Amino acid sequence: MTAVAGGTGPRADGHPVTGLDEVVHQRVRLGILTIAHEARRVEFGYLRDQLQLTAGNLSKHLSVLEAAGMIGVEKGYEGRRGRTWITLTAAGDAALAAEIARLKLLISRIETTDTAPDR
Amino acid sequence: MTTESVPAGGDPRRLLSDVRTLAHRVRRDQRVTWFALLVLAVVTLAGMPFDWYGMKVHCAPGGGCEFARRGVLLYWPPALLLAYAAIAVWYVRAARARGLGARVLPYAITGALTTALFTAAWVAAALYFPSHPQRFPEWVLVFDRLLTPWGMIGVALLVLARLERNVPLLAFTAGYLVLVLAPVTFGMDFEPRWGIRAAFLPQQIVSAAALLLGAAGFALARRRQR
Repeated sequence: MTAVAGGTGPRADGHPVTGLDEVVHQRVRLGILTIAHEARRVEFGYLRDQLQLTAGNLSKHLSVLEAAGMIGVEKGYEGRRGRTWITLTAAGDAALAAEIARLKLLISRIETTDTAPDR
Repeated sequence: MTTESVPAGGDPRRLLSDVRTLAHRVRRDQRVTWFALLVLAVVTLAGMPFDWYGMKVHCAPGGGCEFARRGVLLYWPPALLLAYAAIAVWYVRAARARGLGARVLPYAITGALTTALFTAAWVAAALYFPSHPQRFPEWVLVFDRLLTPWGMIGVALLVLARLERNVPLLAFTAGYLVLVLAPVTFGMDFEPRWGIRAAFLPQQIVSAAALLLGAAGFALARRRQR
């Protein structure tokens, strides 16, 4: 698999798998990006509950996405309670859109292969 | 990479299906549709006495009456602006409490713009038509009903439904707009008994009742989802 962080979209040449972004093409990280995209801003606890992860596991995934420049992490307090908010960066937004486009392309390829007559 | 505990990749169909499910869940958790409809229903109910007592009526000895709905112009612009501000604040607070951002600002802006549009149209009509009385065809009257506060509430709700990708709200708003634009009054006619001041009451009652029922319905649906 080729790692193309923040890739720009499915390639017209070659199989769509060759353009998959290793950072994004992962169930949990794709989930994080999707939630952050829809929510504009999402709290750590909401992500943990929705993705059914432990805090430690979620933190690891967030670190990967933050290192790739796909999310921004903002820590603060509400009263005495510490809260961590996650926002999607422009690179994260583009990577999510590219990943979804590649997934759709892959599915259409699979369906075309499935329905093609046997040779 | 630090993600060995979760298998990378997966069936693209399943991944895409997960993405859609998560997006749908987030949108659902951001909504406080019942609150928006409740506020608008309360504003509509509270506006009725303003329309009644604020209406200037001048009846000629021959039987014809002229009226001007000054109460609507005085009450509705500030009431709607306050309502949209309250809805926006509540949406942001509710979403924040759930750990999410809100996507309500375009709705509040649309609400403010439609309020300005209705106010401008009513002020222009109040200035122009007393000296240029006219009889309009039915399609103009439908457009006229759209340019009322009750019609503008529906237009802004269409924007909210689009923002939230909320199909039930879209269906509700379509029905609401039919009630407002037709207009549907379910046979209520208070004018023969109480005069011209009561002529617009049935439309407002129907509008407020529809919004209240909508608020109750969405609140119930929300409770069931939990």
